Amino acid sequence: MNDADDPTVLRLDEYLAHPPARVWQALTDPDLLAQWFMPGDFRLSVGHRYTMRGTAMPGTGFSGTVKAEVLAFEPERMLRLGWRDADPASPAGADWTITWTLEPEGRGTRLFLTHEGFDPGSEMQRRARSIMDGGWRRLMTGSLAAVL
Amino acid sequence: MRREVLRLLRERGPRSVQELASGFSMARPSFSEHLRVLREAGLVSERRDGRRRLYSLEPVPLVRVRDWLDPYERFWRDKLSALRHLLDDAETADTGTTTDSKTTDTTTCAGGPPYDSGGGPRADQDEERP
Repeated sequence: MNDADDPTVLRLDEYLAHPPARVWQALTDPDLLAQWFMPGDFRLSVGHRYTMRGTAMPGTGFSGTVKAEVLAFEPERMLRLGWRDADPASPAGADWTITWTLEPEGRGTRLFLTHEGFDPGSEMQRRARSIMDGGWRRLMTGSLAAVL
Repeated sequence: MRREVLRLLRERGPRSVQELASGFSMARPSFSEHLRVLREAGLVSERRDGRRRLYSLEPVPLVRVRDWLDPYERFWRDKLSALRHLLDDAETADTGTTTDSKTTDTTTCAGGPPYDSGGGPRADQDEERP
């Protein structure tokens, strides 16, 4: 499957003018994480579970508080985290895998983010329905009302 | 009836006229007339697939489905931007300090040495190819 089109995966990347060691530190040092990401009791150890408090995302149902777990890592190369919404009733139904990948690029680092596990069966359907329902309503009230 | 056709296309994907018509008790010419109206309204499109004509729902109202990831993408873009600023600012601050501050940072990292699990240092991680 061409996962550029995979609606269950979000991929981003960013060039940072700093060597992988610095970027890695920012990804794994709790004090630094608190500065740019979210405060939480992160520890670089596979199986470590921790909680991060961020901000809710209106429109997604995501509560903003994450129960996370370190799933895997390779120093200065890859860090994989499991994320669940701390609110089990969250309509976002978050059960995600977040993977940071670091690649040296020139004198800096290209940092890749993969956010996997969006559930098309629930969230996307819900969103699609609401978008389509809105679409239907617009169509119904517009000039196309006669057609339908 | 036309809404029912749209629902079928939405739920089951592209369908030939025959497949669509089989769901309705209606003479084929009348059915084709309904399809024509939908087509002209831009709600469905028609393409040839061999000898069949396949009708699909036009993606206009659907193409935005991917938008539901937008809040998450914005979230990460914001975070990545914050990360870049943090690193850039730290670099600026570092130019006035000694270079071995990095070593100190590592040892003060909460939770002990950062490489304490996951198999330890890898043999291949230090080699840079020319």
